[in-house]
Amino acid sequence: MGGWDRIRGSRTRLGGGGSRNSQASDRQSSSRTVRLGSVRPQHPGHRTIYCNDRDANLPVRFKGNSISTTKYNVATFFPKGLFEQFRRVANLYFLMISILSTTPISPVNPVTNMVPLSLVLLVSLVKEAFEDWKRLQNDMVINSSPIDILQDQKWESIPWKKLQVGDLVRVKQDGFFPADLLLLASTNPDGVCYTETANLDGETNLKIRKALERTWDYLLPDKAAEFKGEIQCEQPNNSLYTFTGNLIIQKQTLPLSPNQILLRGCSLRNTEYIVGVVVFTGHETKVMMNSMNVPSKRSTLERKLDKLILTLFGVLFLMCLIGAIGSGVFISRKYYYLGLDESVEDQFNPNNRFVMIKFIQSTQFINKDLHMYHVESNTPALARTSNLNEELGQVEYIFSDKTGTLTRNLMEFFKCSIGGEVYGTGITEIEKGGAQRNGLRIDGVKKATTTVHEKGFNFDDPRLMLGAWRNERDPDSCKEFFRCLAICHTVLPEGDETPEKITYQAASPDEAALVTAAKNFGFFFYRRTPTMIMVRESHVEKMGKIEDVSYEILSVLEFNSTRKRQSVICRYPNGRLVLYCKGADTVIYERLAHGNHNIKKTTREHLEEFGSAGLRTLCLAYRDLSSDLYETWNEKFIQAKSALREREKKLDEVADLIEKDLILIGSTAIEDKLQDGVPSCIETLSRAGIKIWVLTGDKMETAINIAYACSLINNDMKQFIISSETEAIREVESRGDTVETERVIRASVKQELKRCLEEAQHYLHTVSGPKLALIIDGKCLMYALDPNLRVTLLNLSLNCSSVVCCRVSPLQKAQVTSLVKKGARKITLSIGDGANDVSMIQAAHVGVGISGLEGMQAVMASDFAIAQFRFLTDLLLVHGRWSYLRICKVVTYFFYKNLTFTLTQFWFTFQTGFSGQRFYDDWFQSLYNVIFTALPVIIVGLFDEDVSAPLSKKYPELYKEGIRNTFFKWRVLSVWAFFSVYQSLVFYYFTIAASRKGHNTSGKIFGLWDVSTMAFTCIVITVNGRLLMACNSITRWHHISIAGSIVAWFVFIFLYSGVSTPYDRQENIFFVIYVLMSTSYFYLTLLLVPVVALLGDFVYQGIQRWFFPYDYQIIQEIHRNEPEVSSRTELMEIGHHLTPDEERSFAIAQLPRETSKHTGFAFDSPGYESFFASQAGVLAPQKPWDVARRASMRSQQRTPKKN
Amino acid sequence: MLISVIFIPIGVASLLASRDVVEIVDRYETDCIPANYTGDELSFIQDPSSNKTCSRTLTVPKHMKQPIYVYYQLDNFYQNHRRYVKSRNDKQLRSADNANSTSGCDPEDRANGSPIVPCGLIAWSLFNDTYNFSLNNEALTVNTSGISWKSDRDKKFGDNVYPRNFQNGTLIGGKRLDPSRPLSEQEDLIVWMRTAALPTFRKLYGKIEVDLEANSTISVTLENNYNTYSFGGKKKLVLSTTRWLGGKNDFLGIAYLTVGGLCFFLAMAFIVVYLVKPRQLGDPSYLSWNRSPSGH
Repeated sequence: MGGWDRIRGSRTRLGGGGSRNSQASDRQSSSRTVRLGSVRPQHPGHRTIYCNDRDANLPVRFKGNSISTTKYNVATFFPKGLFEQFRRVANLYFLMISILSTTPISPVNPVTNMVPLSLVLLVSLVKEAFEDWKRLQNDMVINSSPIDILQDQKWESIPWKKLQVGDLVRVKQDGFFPADLLLLASTNPDGVCYTETANLDGETNLKIRKALERTWDYLLPDKAAEFKGEIQCEQPNNSLYTFTGNLIIQKQTLPLSPNQILLRGCSLRNTEYIVGVVVFTGHETKVMMNSMNVPSKRSTLERKLDKLILTLFGVLFLMCLIGAIGSGVFISRKYYYLGLDESVEDQFNPNNRFVMIKFIQSTQFINKDLHMYHVESNTPALARTSNLNEELGQVEYIFSDKTGTLTRNLMEFFKCSIGGEVYGTGITEIEKGGAQRNGLRIDGVKKATTTVHEKGFNFDDPRLMLGAWRNERDPDSCKEFFRCLAICHTVLPEGDETPEKITYQAASPDEAALVTAAKNFGFFFYRRTPTMIMVRESHVEKMGKIEDVSYEILSVLEFNSTRKRQSVICRYPNGRLVLYCKGADTVIYERLAHGNHNIKKTTREHLEEFGSAGLRTLCLAYRDLSSDLYETWNEKFIQAKSALREREKKLDEVADLIEKDLILIGSTAIEDKLQDGVPSCIETLSRAGIKIWVLTGDKMETAINIAYACSLINNDMKQFIISSETEAIREVESRGDTVETERVIRASVKQELKRCLEEAQHYLHTVSGPKLALIIDGKCLMYALDPNLRVTLLNLSLNCSSVVCCRVSPLQKAQVTSLVKKGARKITLSIGDGANDVSMIQAAHVGVGISGLEGMQAVMASDFAIAQFRFLTDLLLVHGRWSYLRICKVVTYFFYKNLTFTLTQFWFTFQTGFSGQRFYDDWFQSLYNVIFTALPVIIVGLFDEDVSAPLSKKYPELYKEGIRNTFFKWRVLSVWAFFSVYQSLVFYYFTIAASRKGHNTSGKIFGLWDVSTMAFTCIVITVNGRLLMACNSITRWHHISIAGSIVAWFVFIFLYSGVSTPYDRQENIFFVIYVLMSTSYFYLTLLLVPVVALLGDFVYQGIQRWFFPYDYQIIQEIHRNEPEVSSRTELMEIGHHLTPDEERSFAIAQLPRETSKHTGFAFDSPGYESFFASQAGVLAPQKPWDVARRASMRSQQRTPKKN
Repeated sequence: MLISVIFIPIGVASLLASRDVVEIVDRYETDCIPANYTGDELSFIQDPSSNKTCSRTLTVPKHMKQPIYVYYQLDNFYQNHRRYVKSRNDKQLRSADNANSTSGCDPEDRANGSPIVPCGLIAWSLFNDTYNFSLNNEALTVNTSGISWKSDRDKKFGDNVYPRNFQNGTLIGGKRLDPSRPLSEQEDLIVWMRTAALPTFRKLYGKIEVDLEANSTISVTLENNYNTYSFGGKKKLVLSTTRWLGGKNDFLGIAYLTVGGLCFFLAMAFIVVYLVKPRQLGDPSYLSWNRSPSGH
């Protein structure tokens, strides 16, 4: 059950009927791609399916049921895989260089270019191939899972892939539907079956599908074999909630609705088996049409890096051009000693260009190194895609699924109000959050040992439990309350009829929770027959007495969204006739009998209290009926039930007649159990400037309720509700004219959007306007996503601080995500746990999967997998921020160090007659990025952190720096670029100027290679020293790596210049270092140049820090005096309810080696030599002045002098 | 501050050392053209029959302690040109066994069908002006041994490699080498082959191992053979003493002093800033979200 939803492109099939093939093939091209942003237009044609008749379907050639979610096949692997690779500019660039280097004019050996490139490509391709192989395996498992189809009057098991359109299949309990089926018959009475649609919309409650009455009988194979019918239906499309078609059976045309369709991806529940006809297969099933290409994600930083490379390339090209022109101007035959040929034009050869370009290759190492360090991410999470870490530091919009992500999809009976008295002692997360904001501490309620806690029941009040309610003020109300809970529902009990083992199957988890609650109160509902409900009641007559009571169910007035209530009329064994009703407070209050205002008033207060605590409420009421009244009503009811036209409407009307003069019993409050820490997490994230959108398949009320519960919406907010459930729309809909409906909805959506936008803008202009929230439902969203309304929607939603979209399909989730991603050009993150979130996860920049209960599809599609929503705080605020900072630092540093290096070369070119002579030895060049400067930057990439993990959570606002992309703006880059120009000038001209004359007492003169080695030594030291200035936390790893790099350089140069090989090579460097080191010039320059080079940066950083400090620097300063201990205890307070996982990550963060001290630039001089000295000073025991010393650079500079 | 404390003394020391060095520079390439060739230097220098001898007199400004180093300095000579730098073959220079390996030496790799030793443009264009010094009509010996780096002499130029087929081509680039002496002894070649980093460079010619008194006059008889006229290069003769730092070079001293001073100034500036416009460390009001609560 893995990858059916990961299909990468929906494919169209050839047209409907055999005669339509020509038209169909025209359509094919236009519809091959599913474009985001608009629901795919339906094919005008229709398909005709001959049921149970393979031969008749043969000419149409429907697609088979096998699916393939692989990206490549054997033939396309290489072209496509390579194409993917060369989408990276760096790779493409590298390829170009490699090609050029094979030409004879290149000064470099082609092998040095080709080998790394092929290695990179090979590794990536092997990785791709392996991943695709896994997908293939997955597909094969799915394609070959067995399914029963009807052949020769008996059920035969065949693999899924052999299934064809028109086949009759049998799906057994808990089995998955292999394709989109038309339900014909079910073992349940009334042709009903239950399906679980968790994979489509994330809801785990069961949906009811009902077969057409005419087909109920085709259940057994011999009977089913007789079934011959013709289905005319729409072409495959991606709309999950619609289906139009007709079943033509024995010349009768029966209309089909979504109610008869069983979608692939759902599973059968509570039904022994069903029989159905295959309508859509394989890639044409609705769920497959809903899935999108697996996009290859690239981080924005990476894209920016590409731009950077291009810029750098442009700069170098310019340099080369200068070089080439210069060389052309320079060259003339007068320099006879160059042995030039006759033709001067020949000298315009591009040799020198290549020399220059070679340097840009070093940027290639950026990519390599980034990948290297991405491996590390000590999140309490699993990073599945390694190259998106830094995006986590810039997320501005989070799109969250509701069920399973924000909520546990667990309804728990939490509180109740009976007869004006509140029962239940629990405290919701919201209340906790609110109390915390008000500075109150809520002590954990001491759990009584007697507390019954089971799924769906989280209630504790000794006044009610174990029959204690009998001693309450109003035991009769309590009794009615419990009976109402036990009787008024449509739940099916399952399993053993004992309180411990029974399970309840309910259409909604709320109902199950209510029945479970009744059970725990001593009213144990254990059996349902078509006419009876059996309840085992304890403590009713007297304490400890248990008796089984059976209530006769006379009528059930079912729940629907217009009625918002549900009633059961039952007859007690003693003949009492009661109507129990439960429903939304608004509808119940309308129908209450007069009088008893006190209870109504207090109950209403309680309802409001529950509501603001984020609980879902229901009112319970009852009415005693006389048998006469019931009889007369029942006649009307039966009439209505058998009405042929507008049955639903009539039923509603009749129900209204009896559901009045109700007596209020009380209300229930059910907690839609949030995941741990969700409200506080959301609160933190919104302080960090992240906007959270909830995209859910749930009903609007539920969605709003959850938004309240997560403190996404509160009562201070101005809400814009755009809903299709308005009177006008409903009226048009009931007329059944789809075109008209569409027009009306479109118009009203447009109008609403306009109005809301105007209002929103009005609020924005007022200074302290309320925060805005937008709530929109899926149907409206479909029209709002229309290209011409899209801009309005985007503007409106960007102005709102929270947005809730309800009843949205998976594809719409993805559309909304990409609307923001593309329209607003902001970094988006999607988080979800179910298969219905997959497309959204794939559409966002960063997809986070919650490894929860609903299977692994979301995790498979995600870039990061976490266990709980609240880990998002850590993931984003701590690790995301760090990764972002680190990457920025690493990238800018790479940029800086290579530019510096290249520029020295460039300056040299001016003095070589633009000939492109290299300043440095080949090996210096090659190893510069690999050895001499690689390790420290990796260490920074791994360990650098500006503020510690608890601090970055304490100041979520720090995250805004990432959203604004503070550290990777062109401005920041240009500062780096400026300093690299400055430094390269220093390197070149200082070493050159210092080397002009004889250099020791022997008067000998240096050659080219001596000078270049000198310059290179300075660069290595400076560049490493600069890194030390750039990092925020200095650990011993920094010292080791930086010292190591410098030592590595010296070791290398000693060895390299010490050996001479018999090979034919240019032994330029032979003995150079020894020569150099025998002169005082070497030591003097070595001290001077790095200091001068770093002085500029040092001053800049000092000024920046003093006058224009970054936020994190302030935070560092605020907490500079805090020993680690204090933050640790603080952390422990937060931490004691953390999972072991999280604690472990904190423990890691607290390891003593990472003494993350604010040492931004707390050292005396930027000179390399003094680094270690000053570090030692920092590590020394703190003295009073030492604290001040560390506090800033300026005082730092003074102290040594004054002491 | 620390920097200034360390740097200023170093700067003073280096500057003093540099100032201590006595240096005589004499540019001669224009003056050594006979009057009748003025304006047509090229034909003069390329005419093998013309008399290239030229006399110069140098006055010693200060007492010069031995050893006094004799340099020649060339301007606008691109020893660092890419074509030039690579036009040599180290293998051939190192051992007699490799006389035939002339790769990279193009176009001076072979002449008359046999390989040139030493091959390449660098060797071919060896500097061939000569200097003879006399003090008070008494010849000063110029010691031309020990002017190259020992490592070059011992390791890079073989003591069994003799010049062969050198300067036998149609164009004569520069000096001819004595075919009877191994390359490792021909130190002028070794010095020349250590190519310079800049187009203006000095090369050591030899050492004068006697002290020169102040105001004494040295007459130089030089042969102006080397062609720098085609590219407008200058030729200079330099006599210089050395100190611990080397030759006369104020640069390091000045740089050290400047940096030291700058650091001092900056430290002062920061102190002033600290006193004049103090910023409360860790003042939360500086946090961007506190500064502008509405904006983000």
